[in-house]
Amino acid sequence: MANETLAGFLAHSIELESEARERYTELADAMTGHHNRDVAAFFLRMAEEARHHLAEVAQLAQGMLLPQLKAWEFDWPEAEPPETASYEDMHYRMSLRQAMTLALANERAAESYYRNVATSSDDQDTARIAGVFADEELSHAAELERLLAQLPENPLHQLEEDDDPHMPE
Amino acid sequence: MNNAVQLKAKDYKSAVKPIWCPGCGHFSVFNAITKAMAALAISKDDTVMISGIGCSSRLPAYVDSYGFHGVHGRGLAIAQGLKVARPDLTVMAMGGDGDGFSIGGNHFIHACRRNVNMTYIAMDNEVYGMTKGQASPTTPMDWDHSKLTPHGPGVRPFKPAALALASGAPWIGRAYSGNPNQMAKLIAQAVEFEGFSFLHVMSQCITFCPEQTDWKAIVHERGEPALTDADEAAKLFLHEDGFQTGLLYSERRATWPPESAVPQSEDALGQLAASFRV
Ligand SMILES: Cc1ncc(C[n+]2csc(CCOP(=O)(O)OP(=O)(O)O)c2C)c(N)n1
Ligand code: SF4
Ligand SMILES: [Mg+2]
Repeated sequence: MANETLAGFLAHSIELESEARERYTELADAMTGHHNRDVAAFFLRMAEEARHHLAEVAQLAQGMLLPQLKAWEFDWPEAEPPETASYEDMHYRMSLRQAMTLALANERAAESYYRNVATSSDDQDTARIAGVFADEELSHAAELERLLAQLPENPLHQLEEDDDPHMPE
Repeated sequence: MNNAVQLKAKDYKSAVKPIWCPGCGHFSVFNAITKAMAALAISKDDTVMISGIGCSSRLPAYVDSYGFHGVHGRGLAIAQGLKVARPDLTVMAMGGDGDGFSIGGNHFIHACRRNVNMTYIAMDNEVYGMTKGQASPTTPMDWDHSKLTPHGPGVRPFKPAALALASGAPWIGRAYSGNPNQMAKLIAQAVEFEGFSFLHVMSQCITFCPEQTDWKAIVHERGEPALTDADEAAKLFLHEDGFQTGLLYSERRATWPPESAVPQSEDALGQLAASFRV
C-alpha cells in the first residue's frame, strides 16, 4: 500500500511551490505594468526558483497517487501556504530591498514549515524528505541574505502625494 | 465531473494579464473564482462572468469563460436577464462597492428580492478605486483621504449584508481578500446554491486605502453553521462588527421566474412575439 503520509506531504509541497510560483509570477506581471522593473525582475526570479523546486517535488512524487485536495482542504499554519507572498505587503512603488525582505520572510516561513514536518512526522520517509526541503529553503534564505547585504544602503522609494498608479479607464 | 482532463485554477485564467495594482485585493477574488471553478470542474463554455465598471469590474476579461464587461452599475441587470433566458448557464456577476451599492444600488436590492439562480460577488474596498479614491456608500464616516470629502463623507456607511437580507437575498456570505482559499470555498458554495447568492468580499484597495491592510488583524471567521432564520440573521447583521467571514445566512426560497412563467416551447415564444406585432 502507498505511503499515505508521504503522499499527503508531497501534495502539500506541490501546492506550496505552485502557489508561490503563481503569486510571484502574478506580482511580477503587475509590477511590470506599473513600471517597477527591478522588483518585477526580482519576483520573476523568485517565481523561477519556485518552479525549479516544484519540478523537483513533482519528480519525487512521480508514480505516486497523491490526494486530490481542493484549495481550501490543505492544512497550512496560516491562511495561505507559507511561501506565498501576501497581498497586504505589496505596493507598486515598493523598493527592491522591501521586496527582498519580504521574499526572505517567505523563504523562512517555508523552511519553518518543512522543518516542523521533518521533526514531527512519525513517517521516516516524510521526515527525511521534509528535512531536505527545509535545507533547500534555508539555502535560498541565505542567498537572499547575501543579496540583501550587497544592496546599496537606503534605496527606499519615497511615496509622493498625488503619485497615482497607472490605471487607465 | 465530465471534463476528460481535470483543469487546474490556472487553466481558468485567460491570456489577458490583470493591470490591477500589485497587492490589490481584487487579485485574490480572481484567484478564488478560478480555484472554485477548478474545484467544481465547471465547464468554461457554460459559464459567464458579468460586471459593471470599476477596477473590480475588469475581472471577466481575466477569466477564460464567456464574459461581459457591462455598463456602470448594470452588471446585475444583464446577468439576471441572461440567466432567465439561458437557465442552463452558470452566471456570476461581480463589481465594486461603487458599482453595486451607488449607481447599481437599485439593481442590487431588486436582484436580492427577485432571487434569480445566480451568484453576485461584491468586491468591496470602501472606495471608488478606478476614479482614484473617492468615497463610496461603504466608506467609513470619518475617512478623510479624499480631497472631495476632506472631513470624511459624514454619512453612515451601508451594511451590505443587512441590506441584502432586508431585500430578500436567501444566501449571504462574507470573505476577505487576505484569505483566497476560504473565499474559493464560499464561491463554490454560492455557485451550488439554488437561488441568488450574495458574497460580500472585503477586498483591499492597497493604493487609495492603505490602512485596509489592518483588516488582516481584525477579520475573524464566524465558525458556526449558517443562520437559517431571517430574524436571527437581521440581529446578526445589524449588530456585528462587519468583519466576520463565512457563510452567514442561507435559506431556501422559490427562485424567479417560476416554472409556470417560463415559455414551454419555441412556439410559445413565437406567439408572444406575434402578439406585439402591429
Ligand atoms: C455612468 C458612469 N458614471 C460614472 C463613471 C465613473 N466611474 C468609473 S468606475 C467608478 C467607481 C468605481 O468604484 P467601484 O465600483 O467601487 O470599483 P473599484 O474601482 O473600487 O474596484 C466610477 C464612478 C462611469 N464610468 N460611468
Ligand atoms: S486603485 Fe485600488 S482597487 Fe484599483 S487596482 Fe489599484 S488597488 Fe485595486
Ligand atoms: Mg470600490
